[in-house]
Amino acid sequence: MAQTALTIDGLGVDFGGFKAVNNVSLTVEEGELRVLLGANGAGKTTLMDLVSGKTKSTEGRVFLHDTDITNWEEHKIARAGVGRKFQIPSVFKDLSVRRNLEVASCRNPGVLANLRFGFSQQARHDVDRVLELIGLTEEANRLAAYLSHGQTQWLELGLLVTQSPKVILLDEPTAGMTQAETHKTSEIVNSLKGKHTLIVVEHDMAFVREIAERITVLHLGQVLAEGNVEQIETNPKVREAYLGSKGIG
Amino acid sequence: MLEVLFIGLSLGSILLLVALGLAITYGAMGVINMAHGEMVMIGAYVTVLTGLWLGLNIFFAIPIAFIVTAVLGLVIERVVVRRLYGRLLDTLLATWGIAILIQQAVRLELGLSFFGIHIAGLGPGLQNVSVPAVLQGTFMLGSAEINRYRAFIIVVTAVLTAVTWLIMYRTPIGTQVRAIIRNPKMAAACGIDVARVNALTFAFGSGLAGVAGVMMSGFKTVFPDMGTPMVVDGFMVVVMGGIGSLLGSVLSAGILGEINGLVAAGTNDILARAVVFGVVIMIIILKPKGLFSLKGR
Amino acid sequence: MSIKQRIQIAIYVGFFALIMCAPMVLDPFWLNRIAKYLVFGMLGVAVALSWGYAGILNLGQGLFFGAGAYMLAMSLKLASPTSLQQGSDRPVPDFMLWNAEPGAPTELCCITKASFLWLPFQHQWFGIVMGLVLPVAIATIIGVIVFRKRIAGVFVSIITLALVLLVRLVVIDAQPVTNGFNGLTDLGVFKIGELELDPYIVPTYYFVAIALCLVLSGARLLIETRAGLILQATRDDQNRARYLGFDVPLYQTFFFAVSAGIAGIAGMFYVVVSEFASPTFMDLTFSITMVVWAAVGGRSSILGACIGAILINMISATVSETEGFAEAWKVIIGLIFVLVVLYLPRGVAGLAHDLIDRLLVRRKAPSRHPVGVTDASQLAE
Repeated sequence: MAQTALTIDGLGVDFGGFKAVNNVSLTVEEGELRVLLGANGAGKTTLMDLVSGKTKSTEGRVFLHDTDITNWEEHKIARAGVGRKFQIPSVFKDLSVRRNLEVASCRNPGVLANLRFGFSQQARHDVDRVLELIGLTEEANRLAAYLSHGQTQWLELGLLVTQSPKVILLDEPTAGMTQAETHKTSEIVNSLKGKHTLIVVEHDMAFVREIAERITVLHLGQVLAEGNVEQIETNPKVREAYLGSKGIG
Repeated sequence: MLEVLFIGLSLGSILLLVALGLAITYGAMGVINMAHGEMVMIGAYVTVLTGLWLGLNIFFAIPIAFIVTAVLGLVIERVVVRRLYGRLLDTLLATWGIAILIQQAVRLELGLSFFGIHIAGLGPGLQNVSVPAVLQGTFMLGSAEINRYRAFIIVVTAVLTAVTWLIMYRTPIGTQVRAIIRNPKMAAACGIDVARVNALTFAFGSGLAGVAGVMMSGFKTVFPDMGTPMVVDGFMVVVMGGIGSLLGSVLSAGILGEINGLVAAGTNDILARAVVFGVVIMIIILKPKGLFSLKGR
Repeated sequence: MSIKQRIQIAIYVGFFALIMCAPMVLDPFWLNRIAKYLVFGMLGVAVALSWGYAGILNLGQGLFFGAGAYMLAMSLKLASPTSLQQGSDRPVPDFMLWNAEPGAPTELCCITKASFLWLPFQHQWFGIVMGLVLPVAIATIIGVIVFRKRIAGVFVSIITLALVLLVRLVVIDAQPVTNGFNGLTDLGVFKIGELELDPYIVPTYYFVAIALCLVLSGARLLIETRAGLILQATRDDQNRARYLGFDVPLYQTFFFAVSAGIAGIAGMFYVVVSEFASPTFMDLTFSITMVVWAAVGGRSSILGACIGAILINMISATVSETEGFAEAWKVIIGLIFVLVVLYLPRGVAGLAHDLIDRLLVRRKAPSRHPVGVTDASQLAE
């Protein structure tokens, strides 16, 4: 039986009376790709914030494998093995694409450890490989500020791949993309399946259809339903709260 | 004791006078206007010049200084600040450059000293303004002897604060400014001409600084460098009070003024100023958003 | 090694050679002046490191400069002939005599309140060590408090501004210990072993010049490390760096402290070449002027900021010889500064980089990259 990568147990946060996330429990297996669906305000991004340390939870626990990472500082959670991609793509604008990835390739994040020159063979190899995966080999020496929106999203994905965390949280990776770009993104995401555990928040149903294995639907801060694409589509509660009568796609 | 408190109050009102205009521009536009101190200085020089050339006293200098500095502020906003929208630290630096230019303009008597022409009232030396007789001396309030000019400053500050409050909270343009303070993009989406309102806001803030300068000229010597410490003091008040909060600025000016007065009474002026800086640093560290912050998400 | 990198090294070497050759053409008076500008060049490096690379605009760099200066000055004051005269063979600075507590013995330990703080400075090496340790310690404390609380850019700048002003006032007020407004003057001569480094002799100039070369090279190499790259990442997007696992406040504090150390060293050298330390080192105008030098020279260019500082001061000095031009020069600098902030964020060094890139592109066959879009790693200097 596969190992559990991420366990969320009764997690919740109370913003002065308003519970954005309320007693959410879910388990994600190693190598699994889980999609989080839900209307705006359902708590998907907040849940990611809680797991990655951006927001402090007021109840519940989060476990990365067997380690309790609840309410750790963001960089410690990242070091432990949780990577996060943001809705608004954030990359290092004044560095070149290659330099961006080199930053992510640093295995030891301490200051003293990095008072050295250059990168290892392995790291340079990784960076080249990732450049190819995200299709930015030609743009390697370009300043990240000059990339198009889609390319910036891919670069950020590339940062995550280079970081190679055990669990990757993707928050709307196709936001603002054209159909063609979305397709390429799904290729990248699919290539990550198996090697990493992925949790994806998405709205774009076509994209969801291309990548989804298991889906968790959130509604008003709580888990509404869980299952594969077909099960979710036919679930009457989900139809009522989220999908409407037309289903996914 | 009453006298010490009164001095603290007058110190606070001077702080508020300078900070008022700064609070508005900082709150509405997020602009750190390092040239604000120079606006105060210009107001002071206007008083000197109207006294020397037009024979008018302080009371007349107030509206004249307001107009002069407001126009100057408008020009600065159009030519420089507007191009730096969103670049907070760059506005700080650019306005510092403008402050240098304004200082030099006064020192070099608008460039004319180069050609050997001297304008009385300008130049690198010290200037003085004589206060009208009605404002000289002291009067008794209960058992305390109150300096008339200090009282005048408090009154003018109170009036200006009230006027500002009225404009901000009771006029359509004030509502627009407050909308911009909370969320400029939404305000623009609601049809507010953000560029125009910002320009007017900057002009108004500068005008207030000009009036502060008129007040200053009555009890401080007027010289080209006088502006720099004032902009620092002004910012301390504004940052401590919180972005966009008029009440915050009033309270922090009051608090800092009283602290200054009390510490000065106990030790000396120098340490008092040091303590004020220390207090501001503590507040920024503990409450980075200031005492009251109205910035929207 | 790429052509661009070779050109950069050549420029650095050229600059070193230039400043080393100065004694051959200049008289002692000018040499001393240039030495002062070289010290300002060090300050330019400190600002570039903090602002251009760490993204921290320190508006109170004068605090660290002043701290370094005063530490060494205290040692040199005790070694001064005016101090040794006071009765005992244990030196007491002259100003303390005038500020003495009534009835106090003429001893460093107790002549005025807190005069005992001067005791360890009887050894020159203590002043030197403290000249580096004090600024670094202050910077580390600031960093730990301010950066850990995630205080954003502008507020950090305001805190540094308030801090330098605060310290300046305290130093002025503590007259019995610091001689207040007058600062520390009539200092003894700085000694290395038996060699006395009088401000106007050639060895002193070389001392400063070599130090500048070392500081420049050290800072440049520091930026080239992985840590330097990560630092720039934290400058560009703090959050992104955090979520990649980097302890952002740690990086910021580290480099802020290095920048402070450089400023402290600069302060010490300034005392060696000008023989005084004064609260004016902590004037707000001076601190912001340092930022102007770096902005014009190029905030993201270590060498650019250094040269910017040196050149601006050199021109300033030459121009001040003529009446009236001094003030006009200030206008020009003010104007240049505003224009640089508006239109030339990478300063003159940025222009130079673009020029070199253009020339290089023309030499090659048509390249893949359009002109103007360059490898940012080569921009970083």
